[in-house]
Amino acid sequence: MSHVASASEPSPAPRPRGETIVAFENVWKRYAGKDVLAGVSLKIERGEVLCILGPSGTGKSVTLRHINGLTQPDDGDVRVFGESIVGLSEEALSPTRRRVAMLFQGGALFDSMNVEQNIAFPVVEHSERPPEEVAAIVAEKLTMVGLPGIQRKMPSELSGGMRKRVALARSIALEPEIILYDEPTTGLDPISSEKIAQLIVDLNVRLQTTSVVVTHDIVTARTVADRVAFLHQGRFQFVGAFDEAARGGPPILQDYFRAMGFPCGTGAFQAAPKGE
Amino acid sequence: MTQPQPSATAIFYRNLRWLKFVDRFGRKGSQTLEYLGGLSELLGQAVVGCFTRPMYPTEILNQMDEIGVKSVSITGITALFTGMVLALQTAYSLEAFGGKMFIGRVVSLSLVRELGPVLTALMVGGRVGSGITAELGSMTVTEQVDALRAMAISPVRRLVVPRLIATVLMMPVLTAIADLLGILGGMGIAILELQMTAQDYLTSIWQQLQISDIGSGLAKTFFFGLEIAAIGCYNGLQVQGGAASVGRATTRTVVFASICILVSDFFLTKLFLAL
Repeated sequence: MSHVASASEPSPAPRPRGETIVAFENVWKRYAGKDVLAGVSLKIERGEVLCILGPSGTGKSVTLRHINGLTQPDDGDVRVFGESIVGLSEEALSPTRRRVAMLFQGGALFDSMNVEQNIAFPVVEHSERPPEEVAAIVAEKLTMVGLPGIQRKMPSELSGGMRKRVALARSIALEPEIILYDEPTTGLDPISSEKIAQLIVDLNVRLQTTSVVVTHDIVTARTVADRVAFLHQGRFQFVGAFDEAARGGPPILQDYFRAMGFPCGTGAFQAAPKGE
Repeated sequence: MTQPQPSATAIFYRNLRWLKFVDRFGRKGSQTLEYLGGLSELLGQAVVGCFTRPMYPTEILNQMDEIGVKSVSITGITALFTGMVLALQTAYSLEAFGGKMFIGRVVSLSLVRELGPVLTALMVGGRVGSGITAELGSMTVTEQVDALRAMAISPVRRLVVPRLIATVLMMPVLTAIADLLGILGGMGIAILELQMTAQDYLTSIWQQLQISDIGSGLAKTFFFGLEIAAIGCYNGLQVQGGAASVGRATTRTVVFASICILVSDFFLTKLFLAL
């Protein structure tokens, strides 16, 4: 997989891979009398790209929002960087949130700011860098997402795919250790989806981040995932490599793949080799 | 002959209407308490945020422009015509008693003590309160507020505090301008319609109007500003769902802010009269 754009600065120091960076321990979450998460347990390792797959409305995004404390569980524990974040105040969550970025489904760019101000926003808020340095960071991040030179554009002037890439540039502005992607390709055409998927893999390698991608799009999962976790009826019914899932996981996963037009076990649909 | 005893089922159904009423009343009461609790909590956080870092001076200035400067025309026109109507009505009511000379006093006292602050607050509540709710509501449904939280930036400090400070600071300014325009409107009618001189009109105001009248009128507006900003922000941040929810929240803000202004005006008037 080719890099979308090349960065001029040297790669960051390697981060240790393999250790558990996020852990869900018997997490329960109830909305309107329904258990959306019913005792979810999952470990996410540093450096991997984990895809949370599942039909709409099964709690994928809710699961994702537990990782940066945007949603708190009714019961159970969520540990991020080895520390429990359950029950912490917004202020106490700040240090964790600075290390965990999130790409929202619609991009969530601030309408009143242009692209440059949007990307610079977290940098200005959390550091005392001079304006020239901030401008350089913005330019670098835009280049990384393949959109150099659009600093002056307003979000309303951007296409859906561009908005997501700008939002991604904003997410990586503070050089996070974990990036959470909430339906990154939903609503995009296949070419834009492919670009975003490639970016996820690319940034994961270049920035040495851990990525958690929520999607119901099997093509995206196939492109980006080291592992997939299939969420259904409040629990992960399958956690493993994409190939394993494609060869035939539990019946419910096979049904899901079939419904999405990719029958399991036929050999017609296997994981794309990463990094190509 | 004894009447047959009604069955337990009949008693249950007879009382069902009342049970439903009590249930509905209880739910409404609980929702109202929950709303007031949330509003107070937000107001408390915002007041703390007003005195602690980080501050956003540029954002406060932007909001002062948006909330204050851009409201001058609507509050000014309202006050100008209210002053004119007051002058006409006073002349009509007092003419039989030869009370034309009191027009300046009546207009100025009514405006400075009561109508100026309240009408300005109602206008600002309609324009600014609904605007704040619509803006924050849209930000909430498009996940911009969550994006702030995810970036470890407090939405209360970044969004609520600047609007609260700007509204509280600009309300007295808008009210002072409204008072002045209302008095000038009354003077215009006094001169053109009632054949008074400007000097007579202004002298009657000068003789009657006390600093305490102006002070009590302006002091109220700090509280009105606090109410408008807090209700506008809270309703905006509480929006769930889509565009329809934003519309409903905006309406709720106008209604609730208007009621709060009128109710608190009564108690503030009692308080200032007692002081």
